[in-house]
Amino acid sequence: MKAARSLCLCACLFAPALSGAAEQTQNRDPDSGLLAWKKVDRGFSLELIQLLPEYVAALYSSRGLPPAVVDSIRGYCVFGSVAQNQSGGTLSYRVADWRVVTPDGKQHPLKTKPEWVAEWTKLGSDFGWSILPATMSFDTGDWAQGFTTVRLPPGSHFDLIYSWRHHGKRYTGKMGNLVCAPSEPPGLP
Amino acid sequence: MAQAALPLPEMSHSFTLLKPAKPALEFTLPDLDGKPVKLSDYRGKVVLVNFWATWCPPCRREMPSMERLSRRLQGQPFVILAINQQEQPDQVFVFTGQLDPAPTFPILFDRDSTVSHAWGVLGLPASFIVDKQGRVVYRAMGGREFDHPEIEQTIRAILK
Repeated sequence: MKAARSLCLCACLFAPALSGAAEQTQNRDPDSGLLAWKKVDRGFSLELIQLLPEYVAALYSSRGLPPAVVDSIRGYCVFGSVAQNQSGGTLSYRVADWRVVTPDGKQHPLKTKPEWVAEWTKLGSDFGWSILPATMSFDTGDWAQGFTTVRLPPGSHFDLIYSWRHHGKRYTGKMGNLVCAPSEPPGLP
Repeated sequence: MAQAALPLPEMSHSFTLLKPAKPALEFTLPDLDGKPVKLSDYRGKVVLVNFWATWCPPCRREMPSMERLSRRLQGQPFVILAINQQEQPDQVFVFTGQLDPAPTFPILFDRDSTVSHAWGVLGLPASFIVDKQGRVVYRAMGGREFDHPEIEQTIRAILK
């Protein structure tokens, strides 16, 4: 699979200590020109990478999924996502609590894994493993990976308001100035 | 297509100790040759149960380290069972043939993810260590560098 190409992101990204300032970093993939963002905030690390709509469709097609399943995700803004626990304790999150906020102030829920599985099961397939787990309670060193999806057109700008729990306390974080992948490869500046 | 892979975080090398240990749920799944394999057939051995798929980047990355671990523990009552999710044997055969080192441990097929769901797996990869008494004693979610000394030491301690 061509997706096995290295993104060369990890070496550039900075992981602050649990008590340190939460700084959002942005990186541009040197080959594709696509953007990725990462934020480590109070032990919860979240990383989002733009995915081209055609790449996502090709991934699903290559799994032999029915065309209706492939088409079902075409109208969504999709990010590759990695959630990691760097807290030194147990941490949990719930994607249903997260919101995308567009410049017009509107809030948009992310479409969760159970919602996708319910839809895809009706269409005769289930590739739920591709979506970021909807809820996760994980320990230090654990991480989760998968797609996050929101129904927005290519190139949409937004902020992500997300939350997690640590030692029984709920924390809220924000990743600002995120952008859905364009409909076509962006090229390089 | 101009698209990079999903971001790949640094592989972890820790397992979470489960207290209390819980009895491992029994399963019977076919291997690459279609031969049924039961978890309880390995009672008396330490078993690393790994849930994975060929399209999953961290699963791909960690599999060679599982084989290296298996070789380091050769002669010990230790076995790895790698349970593939929703794929066909020919897909898996092509994939494992590209690995260096290629896995020699059993690869099983959980075609409808019944076993992974019963084991509470929410994302891939996920790994569990089952002790000689058939209890799940450790868990890891996300990719691991299995031949890291810390993991090898953890398993050697369970083998004692």
